[in-house]
Amino acid sequence: MKKKQAEGPSRREALIDSLSLPKDILLGALRVTLTGSQEAWVENYKGILEYTECQILLQGKNCQVCFEGQRLSIEYYTNEDMKISGCIRCVRYQ
Amino acid sequence: MLGILQFLKGYVRMKIWGVSPERFLNLCSNKNILLWDIRKDGDVYTMCISLSAFLQLRPIARKTGVRVVVLQKYGLPFLVPGLLKRKIFIAGLFLCVAFWIVSYRFVWDITLEGNYQITQEVFTDFLTSQQVRVGMQKTDLDISALEKEIRRAFPEITWTSVKLSGTRLEISIKENDTPMFTKPEVPEGGQNLVSEYAGVITSMIVRSGVPMVKIGDIVEEGTLLVEGRVPIYNEDATIREYMYITADADITVEHSITYQDTLPATYIQKTYTGRRSSRPFVRLGSREIKLPQERPYLVYDTVIQGHTPMALEKLSIPLSWGQYVYREYMNVEHEYTLKQAEALLMEKELQFLKTLEEKGVHIIEKDVKIEEGNACWTMEGWFLVDQPTGRAVNIVLEETVPEVGE
Repeated sequence: MKKKQAEGPSRREALIDSLSLPKDILLGALRVTLTGSQEAWVENYKGILEYTECQILLQGKNCQVCFEGQRLSIEYYTNEDMKISGCIRCVRYQ
Repeated sequence: MLGILQFLKGYVRMKIWGVSPERFLNLCSNKNILLWDIRKDGDVYTMCISLSAFLQLRPIARKTGVRVVVLQKYGLPFLVPGLLKRKIFIAGLFLCVAFWIVSYRFVWDITLEGNYQITQEVFTDFLTSQQVRVGMQKTDLDISALEKEIRRAFPEITWTSVKLSGTRLEISIKENDTPMFTKPEVPEGGQNLVSEYAGVITSMIVRSGVPMVKIGDIVEEGTLLVEGRVPIYNEDATIREYMYITADADITVEHSITYQDTLPATYIQKTYTGRRSSRPFVRLGSREIKLPQERPYLVYDTVIQGHTPMALEKLSIPLSWGQYVYREYMNVEHEYTLKQAEALLMEKELQFLKTLEEKGVHIIEKDVKIEEGNACWTMEGWFLVDQPTGRAVNIVLEETVPEVGE
C-alpha cells in the first residue's frame, strides 16, 4: 500500500512530463515570479499563514513558501494571485 | 484606469486587529473580496477594500474575531452627498455642461488657408452668399456641396477641402500655380519682327521668316529684323507669290541703357517717446465693447493685443478680449550720410539689375556715379547690355501684283 502511494505521484509526474503539460495547474504547484528583489507574484497558494514586515509565510498544496526581507507589504490579495513588494532577501521552501 | 474605476465605485482604507487577522485575509480571498495595499503596522493591519465588499465583512470579522475600523473614505459615492448640498455649484455645473452641449452644435470660427490670389474678403463674401457664417448650426452645413460650390465659383482653385474640427470650419484651398496662358491670336496677314532698341546685333536665330539683318549690323529702333512675308519662287527664280507668316526669332542687341535714380537728402524716422496708454476691450462676435477714451496723443500708433480662448483645443468661442496699446512717437527728420545714401542707392540699383536679368538681359559693362544734388542724392550712369529684342508688328498688306515670269 505504501509502495503504491509512493509510486502514485511519480507516475503522475512522469505522465505530465511526457505530455509536456503545465505542472502548476495539474499538480497545484506554487508558482512564484520574482522581478528583481522588489516584487514577487505568487499563484496557486492556499492562504497566508503569517504576515509580518519581515516575513510572509504562504501555504501551498504540497509545501510552504516563506518570503523574508524588510518592509514587506502585500500590494493586492485575491483568491487567484497576490503581489508582494518590499525588499525581498530570501525565498525559502519548507 | 483601475484607479478611476475604484474612485467611481468608492473604496475605504481600514485597519484590522484581533485574534487571527491572517485568517481574515484568507476568508476574504475565498469570498473573492479584493484587498489591496495591505500593510502591517505593529499589531494592526491596514488595507484598502471596495465599498461594496466592505459591506460583506461583518460575518468574516465575527468569525475570525477581528475588529474592523474605517480610517479613510475615498471615491465618488462619498463625494456626491456633500456635493448635493451645494445647490449653486450643482446648478453652475449643470449650466456649464448645457452650455458646452449647446455651443457644440454651432460653427464658431471659420479659417481659410492656402489662398494667395483670392483675398480673405472676397472669400468671406462668397461664404456669406452661401449662407455659411459664424454662428450657424452645424446641421445646416453641407460640406460636400460647399466644396463643389467653391470649385465652381473660383475656377483658379484646383483643390479644396472643407472640414469641421470641433466648432471650427477649416477650409483649405490650393490655387493653380501655373500661369494661365492664352494662345495669342495669329493675324491673317502675318507679322514682322522689328527692333525695339538702337544698337548692334550680337546673335540671331531665326525660326520662321526672312532675316533682313545679320550679326554685327547696326540697327535703329524700328528697324525691320525678320520679315513675315516669305516669297515663293518659280522655277525660273521669279517670285510667284508671297506667303504671310508670323516671324519668329531670338535676336539680341548690344546697346546702352541710361540709369538715373534719386534719393531725398532727408528722411522721417519714428522716435518713440516711451509714453503709452492702453484701452481694454471685449469682443463678442462682431461687436466690440471698449472703454470710451479721448485721442490719447497727438501722434501715435496702435497695437492690438488680443486673446482668443480655445476650450478643449477644439471649441472656439466667439469671445475675445485684449487691449489697444497706444504708443506716442515723434517724427524726427534725419539726413542721410554719404554711406547710407550709397548703400540705399546701390540696393535700388541692384534691384533694377535684378529685374533686367529676369528679363534675360546680360550686363556687359556699367558706369554709375553717386552725387549730392540739390536736397537729394542722385545716382546716374549707363549700362552696356546685351538684350533680347524683336517686337511683332502686323504686316500692312499692299495692293501689289506679284511679278509673274513670262
